[in-house]
Amino acid sequence: MLSIVNFSKTYKGGKKAVDTLNLDINSGDIFGFIGHNGAGKTTTIRAIAGVLDFEEGDILIDGVSIKEDPVKCKRVIAYIPDNPDLYDHLTGIGYLNFIGDIYEISRVDREQAIKKYAEAFELTANLGDGIASYSHGMKQKLAIISALIHSPKLLILDEPFVGLDPKASLTLKNIMEELCKSGSAIFFSTHVLLVAEKLCNKIGIIQDGRLVAFGPTQEVKGDSSLEDVFMELIETK
Amino acid sequence: MKKVIRLVSVQLWAILGSMFAIGESKKKKTKALYVGFALFVVILSGASFFYAYMIGMGLKLYGSIDLLPSLFMALTSIIVLFTTIHKVKGTLFGFKDYDMVMSLPVSNSQIVASRLLLLYSINLVFVIIVMLPMMVAYGLLNGPRIQFYVFSILMLFFIPLIPIIIASFLGTILTYLSMRFKYSNIVYMAFSFLLLIAMIIMPYFLGNSEQALVEISQIINGQINSIYPLSELYSMGVTKGDLLSILIFIVVSILSFMVFSMAVGKVFKRINSTIMTGRYRANYKLERLKSSSPLKALYIKDLKRYFASIIYVMNTGFGVVILVLGSIALAFVDITTITGGLDITGTIRDMIPLFFTFCIATSCTTMASISIEGRHIWIIKNLPVSTLMIFASKILVNLTIIAPALLSSIFVGIILQIPFISVLLLLLAVVSFSLFMAQYGLVINLSFPNLSWSNETVIVKQSTASLISVFSGIGMTAIQYLLLMALGNAVSGMLLFIIILLILNLLLYKRLVKDGKRQFEKLSN
Repeated sequence: MLSIVNFSKTYKGGKKAVDTLNLDINSGDIFGFIGHNGAGKTTTIRAIAGVLDFEEGDILIDGVSIKEDPVKCKRVIAYIPDNPDLYDHLTGIGYLNFIGDIYEISRVDREQAIKKYAEAFELTANLGDGIASYSHGMKQKLAIISALIHSPKLLILDEPFVGLDPKASLTLKNIMEELCKSGSAIFFSTHVLLVAEKLCNKIGIIQDGRLVAFGPTQEVKGDSSLEDVFMELIETK
Repeated sequence: MKKVIRLVSVQLWAILGSMFAIGESKKKKTKALYVGFALFVVILSGASFFYAYMIGMGLKLYGSIDLLPSLFMALTSIIVLFTTIHKVKGTLFGFKDYDMVMSLPVSNSQIVASRLLLLYSINLVFVIIVMLPMMVAYGLLNGPRIQFYVFSILMLFFIPLIPIIIASFLGTILTYLSMRFKYSNIVYMAFSFLLLIAMIIMPYFLGNSEQALVEISQIINGQINSIYPLSELYSMGVTKGDLLSILIFIVVSILSFMVFSMAVGKVFKRINSTIMTGRYRANYKLERLKSSSPLKALYIKDLKRYFASIIYVMNTGFGVVILVLGSIALAFVDITTITGGLDITGTIRDMIPLFFTFCIATSCTTMASISIEGRHIWIIKNLPVSTLMIFASKILVNLTIIAPALLSSIFVGIILQIPFISVLLLLLAVVSFSLFMAQYGLVINLSFPNLSWSNETVIVKQSTASLISVFSGIGMTAIQYLLLMALGNAVSGMLLFIIILLILNLLLYKRLVKDGKRQFEKLSN
């Protein structure tokens, strides 16, 4: 579903944020991307989502290069950034309907999907209000709903649990598992290692732009906890 | 006071940093902006000198040259007043870093004072650019004593204070009234447009024939003195050297500033809280949704974004409003009464296309339509739509804003009984020039994007893209005029102008498809 081939990204000024990254995520995988602040997680995620331009390497989504046919790739992915800045001038339902129009979801399907996910995240009553009036958590919920309504094959989330209340976090985890069972893949970054350990079947640890560990969760952590493995890698830097 | 100055300096640096890309490796673009800004200063101060000298000569003939400084001071004050009203929302209320500023250990009055001083700093630059050339013109015409220059320069720093306070007062009332409505921005904009139109129409009720120049000056001076007594004080102080008048002017300005800061400080938090939180009902029930095509969805989203920004609408919608109202006015106003009995209908007919070009040039929304995405840019960059569709949506919004100009051209054609071929050419010119400005604005904005702004004013009024767009618009009007003069025939001039526009439109389209697409892909916040 997702194949990252020799991906590198160097920012103006010479800082290499990501260095020759290679990894593959298959349908049904829940992949946890772990790393300290500034390790290159968000850069990688933004490149996969087609938000960040890059020159070196390639990213293939369902076999299609994001560089060569970005529209086709974006049609099957959904992306939620770490700080979901949504259009303040729209209402919640206005934003969801906008996304529905862009992804050309039929009216009946979008009404059903909005109903399902808005109820799951307890946001239905707020959908008529302006996004400007939303709290951070409500914006996060709305961004998640907008990502789910077009049934993405690849869901990319950057720190999805930040700002969510415990109930919404649990709802999201359940939905993530449900999505993977239906054949989608999930790529998400997190600092909550316990969540990654429990939820993910694959883990990748990035450090200073380089992938230092990658594979099935059990293989990466071995007999230790993910936290111990992560700390060990950081300290032996 | 130290805290207030610190707050102002931080905010000013934020604006200047955003404008001149301070601290970023954009030397080429920054240089272009410096050149643009220098050009702006030269043109504005040159125009000010020209008008001051011409009016001064007229006044000197009637022995009223001493009216010149107070007349210019009053005019500058009025311009400051009217250009500041719509900046109140966005600077004093509803500004982006409100949460951060409010969490600092400073009083509300100090924050208000810092925001007012921010408006003051921006306006002071304008006052200096306009008033200094006037001083030179007055000096050349009247040869005043050295104290005129000393007092005039000292007073430059106090001229903007009272207009800013009056504008802020009106802006506060407008904000307070409009926030009670569901579509508060629309109400706010309607009030602001009405105020501006009243300001433009007012001089016509006073009459404006050449013979009445001194009378007008005296009438204006008298009226301004009666509604704005500081004008009299300014005149007494600067031209007569009355020190007491100068002192009263300064004390009144500073006291008003302090009192206003304290008064607004009382309602500052309440108004901002209401604006920031918006309307919150939490009673929505899912209902049948309407679906649209992706292009229509983008278009509606962009159109709503446009109307959500007061500063954006006020700066790019005014030309079209004037165009429409001017066209309607032609049906009710006899041109000869405006021109002092001279029948210049023929000249007006020839000049009408220039007026249309100028108004359309001031209505370029695309020069900021990429930058306005700001921190939301990730949304459109992540959507499964082509870059060209995103461009098309932004161009369509611009064309929608200019669309009333098309109706105006037909209306004007009927009212002034312009021959059919000329109306047709005017229509073609309006369409092709609108498309040109929309495409050109987008090309410029893609070349000079600013996604890290904290105040919309920066991208709409103070950015490289907006400066280039304004100058290019004026340049195109000049080219049209030169074509008209060179060919000596309105029809041939228009035809050539349309052909040039068609070629330019094609070149701009090619540029958008090739370079524009690549520039958009590189955008990142």
